[in-house]
Amino acid sequence: MNRRASWLMTVLTALVSSALLLPARTDDRTAQPPSEKPVDFVRDIRPILSDNCFKCHGPDEKERKAKLRLDVRDAAIAQRDGGAAIVPGHPEKSTLIERLTTDDPEAVMPPPKTGKKLTPQQIDLLKTWIRQGASYVEHWAFVPPKRPPIPSVAGTGELTPSAPNNAIDLFIRERLRREGLHPSPEADKATLLRRLSLDLIGLPPTPEELDAFLNDDSPDAYERQVERLLASPHYGERWGRHWLDAARYADSDGFEKDKPRFVWAYRDWVIAALNRDLPYDQFIIEQLAGDLLARSAGSTASPLPPSDDPRVATGFLRNSMINEEGGIDPEQFRMEAMFDRMDAIGKSILGLTIQCAQCHNHKYDPITQEDYYGMFAFLNNDHEASVPVYSADDQRRRAMLFEQIRRIEQGLKERHPNWRERLANWEAEQKGRRQPTWHIVRPELDGSGGQKHYLLDDGSILAAGYAPTKHTTEFEVKTPLTTITAVRLELLNDPNLPLGGPGRSIFGTCALTEFKLVAAPADDPGKRQEAKIVSATADVNPPERELDPIFDDNSKRRRVTGPIEYAIDGKDETAWTVEIGPGRSNVPREAVFVLEKPISFPAGAVLLFKLVQNHGGWNSDDNQNNNLGRFRFSVTDAPNAVADVVPRHIRAILEIPGELRSESQWDALFSYWRTTVPEWSEENQAIEQLWQQHPRGSWQLSLQPREMPRDTRFLDRGDFLKPKHPVKPGVPSVLHPLSGDADASRLTFARWLVDRRSPTTARALVNRVWQTYFGTGLVATSEDFGLQSEPPSHPELLDWLAVEFMDSGWSLKHLHRLIVTSATYRQSSKTNPEHLEKDPQNRLLARMPRLRVEAEIVRDIALSTSGLLHRKIGGPSVFPPAPAFLFVPPASYGPKVWKEETGPARYRRALYTFCFRSVPYPALQAFDAPNGDFACVKRVRSNTPLQALTTLNEPLFLECAAGLAERTLREGGDCDADRIRYAFRLCTARGPSDRELQALTDLLYRQREHYRQGKGDARGLLTSARASVGQQVPDEMAERAAWVVVCRVLLNLDETITRE
Amino acid sequence: MNCQDRYYRQMYRQVDPRLVARRWFLQQCGLGLGAIALGHLLGRHAEAKPLRGPHFAPKAKRVIYLFMAGGPSHMELFDYKPQLAKYDGTLPPPDLLKGYRAAFINPNSKLLGPKFKFSRHGQCGAELSELLPNLATVVDDIAIVKSMVTDAFNHAPAQILMNTGSQQYGRPSLGAWVTYGLGSEAEDLPGFIVFSSGTKGPSGGNSNWGSGFLPTQYQGVQFRTGGDPVLYLSNPPGIDDATQKATLDTLTALNRLRLDATGDPEITTRIQSFELSFRMQTSAPELMDISREPQKILDMYGAEPGKSSFANNCLLARRLIERGVRFVQLFHEAWDQHGNLVADLKKNCQATDKPTAALLRDLKQRGLLDETLVIWGGEFGRTPMVQGGSDGRDHHPNAFTIWMAGGGVKPGITLGETDEFGFNVVRDRVHVHDLNATILHLLGFDHARLTYRFQGRDFRLTDVHGEVVTKLLA
Repeated sequence: MNRRASWLMTVLTALVSSALLLPARTDDRTAQPPSEKPVDFVRDIRPILSDNCFKCHGPDEKERKAKLRLDVRDAAIAQRDGGAAIVPGHPEKSTLIERLTTDDPEAVMPPPKTGKKLTPQQIDLLKTWIRQGASYVEHWAFVPPKRPPIPSVAGTGELTPSAPNNAIDLFIRERLRREGLHPSPEADKATLLRRLSLDLIGLPPTPEELDAFLNDDSPDAYERQVERLLASPHYGERWGRHWLDAARYADSDGFEKDKPRFVWAYRDWVIAALNRDLPYDQFIIEQLAGDLLARSAGSTASPLPPSDDPRVATGFLRNSMINEEGGIDPEQFRMEAMFDRMDAIGKSILGLTIQCAQCHNHKYDPITQEDYYGMFAFLNNDHEASVPVYSADDQRRRAMLFEQIRRIEQGLKERHPNWRERLANWEAEQKGRRQPTWHIVRPELDGSGGQKHYLLDDGSILAAGYAPTKHTTEFEVKTPLTTITAVRLELLNDPNLPLGGPGRSIFGTCALTEFKLVAAPADDPGKRQEAKIVSATADVNPPERELDPIFDDNSKRRRVTGPIEYAIDGKDETAWTVEIGPGRSNVPREAVFVLEKPISFPAGAVLLFKLVQNHGGWNSDDNQNNNLGRFRFSVTDAPNAVADVVPRHIRAILEIPGELRSESQWDALFSYWRTTVPEWSEENQAIEQLWQQHPRGSWQLSLQPREMPRDTRFLDRGDFLKPKHPVKPGVPSVLHPLSGDADASRLTFARWLVDRRSPTTARALVNRVWQTYFGTGLVATSEDFGLQSEPPSHPELLDWLAVEFMDSGWSLKHLHRLIVTSATYRQSSKTNPEHLEKDPQNRLLARMPRLRVEAEIVRDIALSTSGLLHRKIGGPSVFPPAPAFLFVPPASYGPKVWKEETGPARYRRALYTFCFRSVPYPALQAFDAPNGDFACVKRVRSNTPLQALTTLNEPLFLECAAGLAERTLREGGDCDADRIRYAFRLCTARGPSDRELQALTDLLYRQREHYRQGKGDARGLLTSARASVGQQVPDEMAERAAWVVVCRVLLNLDETITRE
Repeated sequence: MNCQDRYYRQMYRQVDPRLVARRWFLQQCGLGLGAIALGHLLGRHAEAKPLRGPHFAPKAKRVIYLFMAGGPSHMELFDYKPQLAKYDGTLPPPDLLKGYRAAFINPNSKLLGPKFKFSRHGQCGAELSELLPNLATVVDDIAIVKSMVTDAFNHAPAQILMNTGSQQYGRPSLGAWVTYGLGSEAEDLPGFIVFSSGTKGPSGGNSNWGSGFLPTQYQGVQFRTGGDPVLYLSNPPGIDDATQKATLDTLTALNRLRLDATGDPEITTRIQSFELSFRMQTSAPELMDISREPQKILDMYGAEPGKSSFANNCLLARRLIERGVRFVQLFHEAWDQHGNLVADLKKNCQATDKPTAALLRDLKQRGLLDETLVIWGGEFGRTPMVQGGSDGRDHHPNAFTIWMAGGGVKPGITLGETDEFGFNVVRDRVHVHDLNATILHLLGFDHARLTYRFQGRDFRLTDVHGEVVTKLLA
């Protein structure tokens, strides 16, 4: 059975039509006997071959049976033993036909075990095609689009109830004319504005907006509405959500732990980018390689608000899931994330399913496994980093603080003109102070434990994977040193740690509860003894401070962090920390631990370092770890070793001769040095105070290129444990080539993706935009434009739109404008028998489809009409009401925090709802919102009883009903009928008919009685709907309750949640 | 009888709803309405309507899947390894560990002997642990598979693999495939229902019962035993049944007027959705109310009305099956014994052994077992090597045990064998894909032909793998 939906419908329609003795014809394909007209290879033949033959006789060399290839003409017509598969002009001589039609079960094709079988009609088509010369045509989607001629107006005018408005209409109507269908008249103005508003900003029009439009008789009234809505900041929210589906956006990691992550800045970047109509090619380039753009522009500390920061844009790639369950191999899941990125790029940008080629050559499309790893190689060279992001307010605060600090320092310099001289003295002193010789010791790691550790080239250890909140990690080293007086623990930055570390807490910081050392002679390792530590020094010794509440362990103990002594005091409540407040805690640190007695073994020692890390919180399934991230151990035999208090970056500057130092290096040096000048304590104190006001800000998962690219290898069957030969960055030969001078960076790949020569990029995007407006794309298989895709319903229109889109400078707003101003878009959605008969799926668009709005818009309509909507754009995701049990075991794996909003944030637009991948928000899930596990370029549009229960009974929908009731009573006039009309119009943009008014009035009257007579609990209803009850007398409450019931009906109308 | 009612009744017969609807619209209502979008209800969908049934006569018509999440220790429950006791405290042979990756432990850890006694039971003489005295009484009804293998050794990926046939998220779950393939017989309940008990939720989260690229109506619907069984099932406070009825009547009237005005058949589906939701408001609480079960049935399961437990869920599974629900899956995440092996296994078996055996016996006495496939199993087994001191085992993908019963499964057999350590399968290896192929076979599907076209490819539960395990078939 053919799986293509349109075929199915064609067959179905044919069936039904013949049953009812109606003319059966919707499509050229079935219109005439195949022998009478030229067979179209692309439309008629390749789908048959691709479906039934290419898997074994297609592009994949490894799978190819009998060395026969049918996807390339030369191979298919080549002479073989027993004749050619295809002999052009002679179906009877073609072994292909013979094998398709034989009765011999051993010989028949496709082999019976595949479950595939050609229909007689398909075999006839193949015969006809061979008779007509067996011509092959390159798959349309692999040929770059060219602007096709626009069909003439003459041919379409006669059938036109309203004049065509732009090229879209001419393409659509030309096809309608061929099919003998007539376009529908324009929808009425109210419907039009509601449609336009829901489509462009995802919110219904207000009564005022409706009135303004209805009263505007100017010829460009509609166009001005289009411009108004395109300029609305809500446009970015509505169409941003659309992109976020493809970008598999979610606010949590996925997998078992499914911890909250910090990616809302990326979401805001998408919204802002669309609002400023960032050209789509740039939109993609920044998401793939914004960090590289920022780098080449020379910015390190971002002066841009996060919504404009291209580094934030790389969150697109980071939207992959992260597995941090206990005992995972982090590299395995890094690779999983890489595969996911490839899939997302294929689906969302290229419109191709490249995922197949992860394990083997693509069975249908000419994309090889080698091609796959060629593209992979562009993406495989990065750290999984995070960058701090500061809101515009935070940025102003930061600028102010830094300016104040600068002024204080400037004042010091001015009051002490000899400062350079004094600094030079200090510098000489520093250089004269001998540092002990430290010997770095490298532990052997056996890969065990919940948290995994990697030993890096510099001898440091990087923690990864599962992060327990309370644990002790042990590292064993051997050293030939015969005397050890002290050990050093360095805490180092690493781009893969939160904010660069050195810790693993969400702030990139850490706390060391205790440091312990056990030693044994190397020649008798069983003879272990704890080596007592008598003193410790560190380059940071914060004052005692209570732990941040996120590390609460429910023990009710007073747990603190503070100076290095806390790591050797034997107390579980105290710990040394590197945290000295936001903005400056993410720097390398060191501590030195001096032994009571030197460890002295003639054959060297075996040392066991124990890092007790008990300062995390109670819930290891949440972001509560306070662990060390990257660290390194060294030992010395020098007496009296102490930590070097001069920070690394200052030491580095000291290495530079004074005359070669830049101004900013001098500034940095001064900023450090001044803290060592005792008489400046007042100023130093003042600056400390200023630092304490530094905003915490937030952060965003992003990418940061590695110094050395990874060695990307061809993975046998896509298994990361089976790397084969190295693969160089490259692109599939079936697509456009890389430009000649391209390097191997992500930026190159990004630019290649949006190269004008790309055959699929622009088509894939315009197709998805089309799909959003019209329910189905011009290519119905919007995730796949390959050989298995459905042929476009309007191939010329698709190409015209793609080229027009690129020619407009990849302007999405231009594309939207084109579509919504077309007469096709402005048609009525009323259905008539002719349409349903000839084009039941409405692929030809003789009417506008009526579509249930997307999940978020279902919610937003209720919020907006009720007047509860809080229209703030962007910011951290929010927590509207949700059933509490979903977030605790055994419904969810671990306990999750869902702190229900009580302020205006409760009523934010649905796209701001916090999305836990493992616990999707139920009210949105019911309406088919994806949860971000993988890229989604086409949502299902289901219609289920669970949806009905949601809009009827879910608390926030009920609050909306109450909100709508209050608004209606407040604004809707004085009599029942006016009020019903008002509320009805808020929901549907039109006034009710007499019968509708009657039905609602009846309900109101009956419910009013019901509550007045005390049969219903009006107070209970109003209270649960969070409506004000106040001092109302019973009748007043009954009145309000009855209105809540009426408004609940209105919010549940099919029409209310449908874009007509 | 009005138009909608006629249509509705017809829809529940296994006639192509599109044809029915089309005829009805044309004949009864004088509207030329098309056949699109009429099939949304209860897993019927125009884009992906359920297949009209199985490929061949099924043995099983419905499934109860007891998913023991966390990785139950096969060596303590089903797969007795006396030799392992002998090797207790010694290191495993190096050959065994070649290429072996463990989750938490250094694979070169000491072997740990089995912690519980085993004895033979029933006619079939199957060996069972002393932890499973109740299962022992029905052991002649089950087929034990000691030779399961999987590809993943972390919980979330392994659970996703067991339930969706892939470690990568985004594929439809077994329950979704089955409901897609068979549709649902339940008139006022979802076709695929999920319960969760134990100490945690399953590691794989919602994706364990997701619909992947299949239409969302095939995804499992989570029921719970306390409060509303289905989310938002209850009317809000202050909305009593009369008001709810009046609300729905008005809604239907208004939606019908809109149907007349627009001719959009989707509105019919919406009307039915609301009517069905109203019926669910009655049927679901009734279904969940186990207090009306006879005391001896409650006792048999160890179920207690008003509590949340695996026992209650087992009883509810039977009640759902009786009402035509196609696929019921109980997740009990409690089996991850890195430590506390002895005490926690005792506890888990106390919670699950009795109700599990009761479920089998109850299904059998009601004549339901023949057509109901019951599956018991987790996502992987546990290492013969110790974790920690002497009371824990790590995750182990190379060998584990599951069992099946009813629905065309050959009863009273034990399939497969592991080596003397319980480390590798040595006979009748059954991969996850083979298990899933077999489950589909029992339900009447050729697993290679139960496909769905997505991204230009025909996807199936078993990917490109899977062999039906014929030795398991009755």
